[in-house]
Amino acid sequence: MSTGALPRPGLLAILRSWVVAAAVATQWLVLGLGTALLALLTVVVLLLVAALCLIGLGLLLVGPALRLLRWVADLERRRLTAMGHATVSPYGPLPRGWGQVLRDVRSEVSTRRDLGWLLLHATVGLLLGLLPLEMLSNALQELSTPLWWQLAPGQATVLGGFVAVDTWGAARWGVVTGIVWALLWLLLTPQLARGQAAPGRRLLVPHPDQDLTALVARLGATRAAALDAHAVELRRIERALHDGTQNRLVAVTVLAGAARQALARDPASAEPLLERVQDGAELALAELRSVVRSILPPALEADGLPGALAALAAQCAVPTRVDVTVPTRLPVSIEAVAYYAVAEALTNVTRHSTARDAIVTVQQRGDHLWVEVADDGVGGATVGQGSGLTGIRDRVEAHDGTLEVHSPAGGPTLLRVVLPCG
Amino acid sequence: MRIVVAEDDALLREGLVLLLGGEGLDVVAAVGDGATFLDAVTEHRPQVAIVDVRMPPTHTDEGIRAAVAARRDQPDLAVLVLSAHVEQGFATDLLVGSARGLGYLLKERVGRVATFLEALRRVAGGGTAIDPEVVAQLFARRRAADHLAALTHREREVLGLMAEGLGNAAISQRLWITDHAVHKHIRNIFAKLDLPVGADSDRRVAAVLRHLEATSGAT
Repeated sequence: MSTGALPRPGLLAILRSWVVAAAVATQWLVLGLGTALLALLTVVVLLLVAALCLIGLGLLLVGPALRLLRWVADLERRRLTAMGHATVSPYGPLPRGWGQVLRDVRSEVSTRRDLGWLLLHATVGLLLGLLPLEMLSNALQELSTPLWWQLAPGQATVLGGFVAVDTWGAARWGVVTGIVWALLWLLLTPQLARGQAAPGRRLLVPHPDQDLTALVARLGATRAAALDAHAVELRRIERALHDGTQNRLVAVTVLAGAARQALARDPASAEPLLERVQDGAELALAELRSVVRSILPPALEADGLPGALAALAAQCAVPTRVDVTVPTRLPVSIEAVAYYAVAEALTNVTRHSTARDAIVTVQQRGDHLWVEVADDGVGGATVGQGSGLTGIRDRVEAHDGTLEVHSPAGGPTLLRVVLPCG
Repeated sequence: MRIVVAEDDALLREGLVLLLGGEGLDVVAAVGDGATFLDAVTEHRPQVAIVDVRMPPTHTDEGIRAAVAARRDQPDLAVLVLSAHVEQGFATDLLVGSARGLGYLLKERVGRVATFLEALRRVAGGGTAIDPEVVAQLFARRRAADHLAALTHREREVLGLMAEGLGNAAISQRLWITDHAVHKHIRNIFAKLDLPVGADSDRRVAAVLRHLEATSGAT
């Protein structure tokens, strides 16, 4: 091996790779046989429904039949996807009511393409699915003929049952034909699997036009939703600055005016007013800080959700346990909302609940993020004007999430935020 | 002077009450929303109402609607509307009927106590008080700016103060010029803008504002 060329694989290795390929293809063909049998069944059902339509009764069954068709087609799509031919389901939502169903059957391109696939797969697909089994069983049977033909006289055959075996000579031929069957299986099965998958790969994918329009519609919808959430978010920030910080500063101005007026008249009476001025300015600062924190907390960027929440809990005056089960980083906006909800909730716990313990649980369940803050305090928390809970709700709803507060008088309090994060 | 205050922000409401009380004005009620305000007006029959635009429950224009409703019941009730920011629509809504006894000021003006009290007294006396910011915005519109190009700088200042609702004496004080000079400027302004000359100061304000509105194009 001085040239550096790869070593030629041995004959055995080539054979093994062929056998593996044929075995895998057989496996797909058998699964395809399954969907083909279901397709055949569906053809029968559809024909029955069509017949019943002639007497009117079938109209009611068109909807369920359509659902069956989609189910079978989707099974095949899953098989194709598993085989490595990614096949996306092209359907819109199922139509409701039989009038709409009929209109849908007439207008929906994918339904017609599904029907075309169904017929091909129920016939050609079924046969292609049976072939490798036939070849395999023939190969095994005929290869082994010399071993048993004498035990079952008159029953042994070769060439798929066409030639009866009644002598040793014929039995030896069995070995030859058996090898031929095995070779056929080895060489043809991958082609058969491709052939069986072909109608599905052509017809079960979205129609090229439909693909684009559906994609455009989907992108349009998500973009609109994103813009919407963005606008709601800007509105929320505007409201927070306007109703909170700006009002505080206006009050500071007014109180400062009153203080100056008092100074001119009776300097001693200005002191309590100046104290209020200071209170007002401090409140304005606190609210400004809270608004800034609500936009995008710096800790979130640095430490991710688990770290940022742990830091929040560490700062909380009430002992707080944090349990975050989120496998990956979520979208920044979702993390920000979750963080904000926990921050506001813990502020409430500290201020109002007189709780001894609090627990923060954050879990990703499917494509939703569950955020729960529980405390053993006095309860009685409500979502209303001016409470931090209103801020949480506005923020959560801007992201299509939900806020639940269970807080009976006497406690305990459970606040739950569920946010879509898929 | 009997006053009802409607302002939902507790700190600001308290500040207003303290400030007005310090001036010896009689705040008969201080409330936090439109419905309570209407009850208070019916009960106390004040001369002046100071009303915040945004109040619960919707925080949009409760104050304006409550003020309009209160004026329907008591046409001679003077109303001073306080707003966190200029919303042109509200100012002109209020002026649809008559500018008599009406004011529209930004909240922070309250801190300049002397000017605020002057505006409050003017409104209570049947005059008008329009926030300089509102007037400035009307002036700034392109068509209005073109229209006002014929005016001298001083004449524009006088027109602005007129639009705010100031009388001749107040204008002469504010600009450090004589009463006679103010008269002369006003005559020139009315001639240049082709406005009817009238002695009545609040009708004058309305005429000036309507002129500005009309020349400022679509709002």
